[in-house]
Amino acid sequence: MIRKLIVCFTLVCCANILQAQDAPLLKKWSYNTAYQMPAGKWESGIFQPFRYGISDKLEVRTNVLMLPFFPGAGVKIALGTKNNFVIASEHSLSSPTPFLNFISRKGIGGMISPEYDFSFILSVANSILVSRQIAPSAILSANAGFTFALRGSKPDPQSTIDMPLFYPRMAHYYEGASVKAGAAVKGSMCKKWFYEEGLQVFIITRAENNFFFENNGTIMWALGKSLRIKGGYVLAYGKYPYITPKWQMWPTLDLVFGSR
Amino acid sequence: MNKSFYRKSIFLLLLPLLFPVLHSCEPLATGFDDVENAVMYSKTLKVTPPQPDSTLKVMTWNIRFGIGRQPWFGDACGDNTVFKKEEVMPGLSAVVARINEVKPDILFLQECDIKSNRTAYIDELQYILDNTYFNYAAYVSEWKAEFIASDGLGRMDMGQVILSPWPITDAKRINLALRGDQAGIINYFYLHSCIITGRIKIPGFKEIPLLNIHASAFATDDTKKKHYEEFKAELDKLDAAGEYFIAGGDLNELPPGSDSTDFCFEDMCPGESFHQPGDDPQHKAGSDYSPETDWLTPIYTAYKCAFPLNEYLLNQPAYFTHTTRPEHAWDRTLDYLFTNNRWRAGSAKTHQEFFNESDHAPVSADFVLIKE
Repeated sequence: MIRKLIVCFTLVCCANILQAQDAPLLKKWSYNTAYQMPAGKWESGIFQPFRYGISDKLEVRTNVLMLPFFPGAGVKIALGTKNNFVIASEHSLSSPTPFLNFISRKGIGGMISPEYDFSFILSVANSILVSRQIAPSAILSANAGFTFALRGSKPDPQSTIDMPLFYPRMAHYYEGASVKAGAAVKGSMCKKWFYEEGLQVFIITRAENNFFFENNGTIMWALGKSLRIKGGYVLAYGKYPYITPKWQMWPTLDLVFGSR
Repeated sequence: MNKSFYRKSIFLLLLPLLFPVLHSCEPLATGFDDVENAVMYSKTLKVTPPQPDSTLKVMTWNIRFGIGRQPWFGDACGDNTVFKKEEVMPGLSAVVARINEVKPDILFLQECDIKSNRTAYIDELQYILDNTYFNYAAYVSEWKAEFIASDGLGRMDMGQVILSPWPITDAKRINLALRGDQAGIINYFYLHSCIITGRIKIPGFKEIPLLNIHASAFATDDTKKKHYEEFKAELDKLDAAGEYFIAGGDLNELPPGSDSTDFCFEDMCPGESFHQPGDDPQHKAGSDYSPETDWLTPIYTAYKCAFPLNEYLLNQPAYFTHTTRPEHAWDRTLDYLFTNNRWRAGSAKTHQEFFNESDHAPVSADFVLIKE
């Protein structure tokens, strides 16, 4: 399965090298690349974080809607360009404690059993991003990084959210650090339609429930100069606490808006 | 080559990605077909099955997913949703010890968990199979969801089981009516009541069809009535075909003529109020059987209950199999065994002494075998 996906991913990259089209890809979709948000410009999504370009070298980000439940912020620092490879680093701090305590509740929305209380957790993430324009309308990006948590006390291992997307991103709150690496190609299909196809691997530094893989595909439609709708899928594979590794697919949808 | 060709080529290259996606994914909650095959279990090192001479001991037991009498939010006014392995194993071991004590030849279980979050992802059926004398088991899910985002339930797979020392054939899951009193999205993630069926063949005797039901516990409309009608329809089919069946399970219903039919006060949790002016609802869901007193009459009339109704009516407390209150005695009968053949006279037993193993007492009786 993984081999098939890598082959497909490579074919998509090759197709983009052949493609030639002038589309304002970076203006519409620089998220998840080493490219910076232009100075003074901003964009945000419902799920995608708010990003603001402070200068051509520095971008800040946070998730505005989640801020009260999931306080956190990050920066993207431009490290320069070498042989047409644009390089940046990303660093972020967040505290999931209020969010975890909020969803540890009775009734609908109780993703974690109400008997669990979470003490202070600080999640620290660092990664390197490299992007290269592989065609006039396509960018290939790769990332590698690690995330670890500083905890007041170790949460109960049975209080995890054993679901794709959630589990790998929260695993380091409980035990070990998370090492992740991935690549994505994004490009434009025409003036208002864009796509992204990516792979992401998470390895958690612990003995079990430690490998996760995601393949995501997204189509984005630019409705106007400042409003975009994007939707697609995430195909996730992982080793969860109930042992049987499995594949699952999730739909994705987001509304992105920002400066013109 | 033009631009359009390249654009189309991207779409065509993306298409193969969808095949593995569609091939390999499970939905968030599992829907069920009207009839499905059961999941079969077997023991690696099999035990030689007994050779009965004239009767077969059959037992039905709702084991409350092996947590014994611990307070669970869903049925015992508790706050806990999730139990640790060290909290589940003593209860599960106690269930196994009781099974080995009674030694039924055929065992029907309800509320058996398979790798559910609330029971620490233990495969309870495999544990029971490995620690008893049974060689085979058939399992069907009653409540199955990858993730339930309510009360911290998470992953859930709870179901019904038939255990036997002899091979079980033709094991199926028969879907029962969905609850009509729930919103669609809640119903999607909620348990879907069912019957598990199977057949066993003991050398020298006629093949025996087996049916194990777990009817809805909390439906406040006529869903339960539909379940009994569907159950009886399955029994009628076998009866009409001249077959002799063993049927039973947790029917979540009182025998006709029961003295007490409203258990709202017995089941009431702190902070709840029922039967008072302005209370909405007036009755606790699953605790008021008053409008349902004759719903089991057709089954009682057509088939033989291990405990005949006249015996039950003479001394009802002796046949009680359930209470929600761990500090009180059994207070109602919800668990049954039926056949269209015969039970050995005096063999039926309500195991009321098994009080701490579950919120249901098992019921056992000796089925009279029919020679080939």
